[in-house]
Amino acid sequence: MSLRFWISVVIGMALLNVVGCGKRTEPAKADPLAAAYDSETDWTDGQHVIPLNYQQAQGKRLFYQQCVWCHADATPAGPSNRSNLTPVPPLLNDGATLNPENEEYLENVISLGGSAVGKSAMMPPYGRVLTSDEIRSVIAFARAISQPAYQPQKRTGSQYSVK
Amino acid sequence: MLAEDMGKLSSRLRLIFAVSSVVFLAVLAISPFKDFRHEWKQNKRAYLRFAQGRPDTKKLLADYRPDIDQIWIPGMNVVDRCTTCHQGITQGSLAEQTVPQPFRAHPPIPHKVRDWGCTICHRGQGPATEIAEAHESTLAWEQPILPARFLQASCGTCHSTDLPQTPQLTRGRQLLGELNCQGCHRLPGVERPAMLGPDLTSIGMKVSRAWIYKWLKEPRTITDKDGNVTVNGYLSEEEPRMPKFRLTETELRSLSAYLSVQKARTVIGYKIDPHVVAAWAKNPELASQGELRFRQMFCSTCHSLAVTRAGETKLIGGVIGPELTKVGSKVDSEWLIAWLRDPQGYLPHTRMPRYGWSDEDLYKVTQYITAKLTDSDLLAGVPQFEQPTDQEIQLGNRLFLEKGCASCHAIEGHNPQKDFGPDLSALGGKNASELEFGTAKIPHNLVSYIQAKLQDPASVNPAARMPQYNWNPADLDAVTIALLSMTGAPVTRALQNLVVQRKEAAFHPTGAFGELYERYKCYDCHKFNGYGGDLAPDLSYEGSRAQRQWLVDFLKNPQTLRPTLVLRMPQFNMSDKDAITLADYMTMVLQHPAANPADVESSQFTASLASLGKQLYEVKYQCQACHTIGGAGGYVGPNLNNAGGWLTPAWIEAWLRNPQSLVPDTIEPRRNFTEDEVKALTAYLMTLRQSIKPQKSATKSTERPAVQELGR
Repeated sequence: MSLRFWISVVIGMALLNVVGCGKRTEPAKADPLAAAYDSETDWTDGQHVIPLNYQQAQGKRLFYQQCVWCHADATPAGPSNRSNLTPVPPLLNDGATLNPENEEYLENVISLGGSAVGKSAMMPPYGRVLTSDEIRSVIAFARAISQPAYQPQKRTGSQYSVK
Repeated sequence: MLAEDMGKLSSRLRLIFAVSSVVFLAVLAISPFKDFRHEWKQNKRAYLRFAQGRPDTKKLLADYRPDIDQIWIPGMNVVDRCTTCHQGITQGSLAEQTVPQPFRAHPPIPHKVRDWGCTICHRGQGPATEIAEAHESTLAWEQPILPARFLQASCGTCHSTDLPQTPQLTRGRQLLGELNCQGCHRLPGVERPAMLGPDLTSIGMKVSRAWIYKWLKEPRTITDKDGNVTVNGYLSEEEPRMPKFRLTETELRSLSAYLSVQKARTVIGYKIDPHVVAAWAKNPELASQGELRFRQMFCSTCHSLAVTRAGETKLIGGVIGPELTKVGSKVDSEWLIAWLRDPQGYLPHTRMPRYGWSDEDLYKVTQYITAKLTDSDLLAGVPQFEQPTDQEIQLGNRLFLEKGCASCHAIEGHNPQKDFGPDLSALGGKNASELEFGTAKIPHNLVSYIQAKLQDPASVNPAARMPQYNWNPADLDAVTIALLSMTGAPVTRALQNLVVQRKEAAFHPTGAFGELYERYKCYDCHKFNGYGGDLAPDLSYEGSRAQRQWLVDFLKNPQTLRPTLVLRMPQFNMSDKDAITLADYMTMVLQHPAANPADVESSQFTASLASLGKQLYEVKYQCQACHTIGGAGGYVGPNLNNAGGWLTPAWIEAWLRNPQSLVPDTIEPRRNFTEDEVKALTAYLMTLRQSIKPQKSATKSTERPAVQELGR
């Protein structure tokens, strides 16, 4: 046994040791719809499917249960009640109306009703039916399907107080 | 050994030692370096840097620790180290999509992450500390993370009752039931009805051999590749209860021969009064009068028919009973009369109610069915059959068992088959190594396995006896979710205690009411104390809601309360006695404790109170957005034209205070009325009266089927 052999064995084992601890390759990324919790077909474009996260999916469920009757043009039960109402309620994906409004205002309209914010009393209050998490999830769903798309406002530092 | 030799040797050894200690030092240096570079440690440091860049650093780092974080819940077998990397999981300010993973907060859910851990819902490997090992299926760890769209399966592992938050899971369980999967498979939590497929004891009295042959070859309800269901060629919402089996020509001939000789239970014939026949037989109006009765009795609430409107023909009607477009070419006319008079005499477990028939109605309706609901091409392509031979009958008898027919159908001479297919009660918890993938070219994981089996059973196992189903993507996912939720017995006692079993809530009252309840099959559509169908309103508290006289009138002549509904209560031609018995029982027994009609004095509702109520209704609360009074208003809620003649004041008051306490899933929002406003609104509603006029002509059927959500 030559010295060179032993040295190479030791170095080889050391290298093997290092290789053995090596990192595996990263797994491939899945397609966005498969990773989504649920999805909604764009109301204005049947070909476009919008992936929804958990919160938006909860909002979708609540919307189709509570709100769809007046805030969509077609409902699971047929024609919408929307045309019976004056003023005509906005569609949920009506970005031109809803995008400029901030979260707090929309939460108030839903939980306190239209009359509490100076809008039509035909919008009833849902604060005693839906929890505030549920109301926020409906808003998240509205933001997700909004046309034109909703662009979240850039947050300013004051939102989170360091104190 | 000589000293010089030792010196020589030691110089060689010294060289070896020198080299190897350098190598070992290097190796030793590598291991702390590797340790420093651990994925989870990198994430720990990255979070530290991330938090320092945010305005609320102090809050984000309040419970920061540089070592492994672990949620340990011994009672539930949870050892989850996920929060080692997912450090912002409970930080409300990290909820936005812009926050990079793994730091983003968990969306608000009914369970607290710290109390439950992560793997109970997401699966994956809780104790793993590497990204791949925690999320993927590796050699050592077999449970991969459940893809987000199947997550509702995990809710179903513990919650065996249906939750509002898990519509897909509910749909999947419902499909497993409707497609009769439980006929062959053991599926915990999926109810096994008394009758899966119809009883075939005397099928030979009802249909011809040719029809049976055709039905076995191509069942009436077909699902195409995209999951669209067609019945007799029309698009339908119905689920195909009889699947398509892969049968050879010989098998078709033998089974049809065997079934066509099944005449064990005699059908008692009925002779319609000859005077009625004589009076109507020559009348050209016969079939159209029959159709009118058919519509007036609202057969379409359960049965659908093809209707052509604006050049488009489609099925309209309910899916509780079979569609009837071609039934006149299917059934024997003597059988039809006997069936309509007493359905339970032929099929003891049928859902068809027993109507009250006059001979005239019976004659008109059966003539309409046999003359108009026909298709001369129905049996085209079916070979001409001779008398069935003994050989064919014997082979058919054997095939009936081999194909598993007795799992769903009762027949003379065979016991019901139990557990014909594999037990699926623990399928959802299986590791990939426990599954037989056969020749299927699919990824080796549980989700792919279940979906391949569902879509094409033969692709996984060519000898599979399971019939061929086709699915649309949403239903395929829903059924996959329901199967994934069945993970077998809970692994620990603590989890066992959490599982809420489905309760058997069968409501089968006795006495005079019980008899009528079975005769008219009230529970096919209505719910009673948690038992029954969900097509029509829940009647558990009907005695608190409706006035007795209104109930009697309604039962005798059902009117719709909701203008957008298509499916309406059938007209049973009920006698006064039956209607009064039903109404009396409901008024006395089906009461809600919060709304006792005897507690409310109607003398307190004065005219001035009512006019205040009218103002509140029209101006302050604008109830007309959803309810109709007169001709105006919305149609989300019920029409209130006859509220005073229909509802009890006690119910209206309790309803206005808290609708959800009476009907938990009602969409009427709970308002914040003062007690005075409640009284005023009740007084106003009690003034609204409108007499129910008897129906003159067939109500025009509208175009939309199944309006179940509004039916409540």
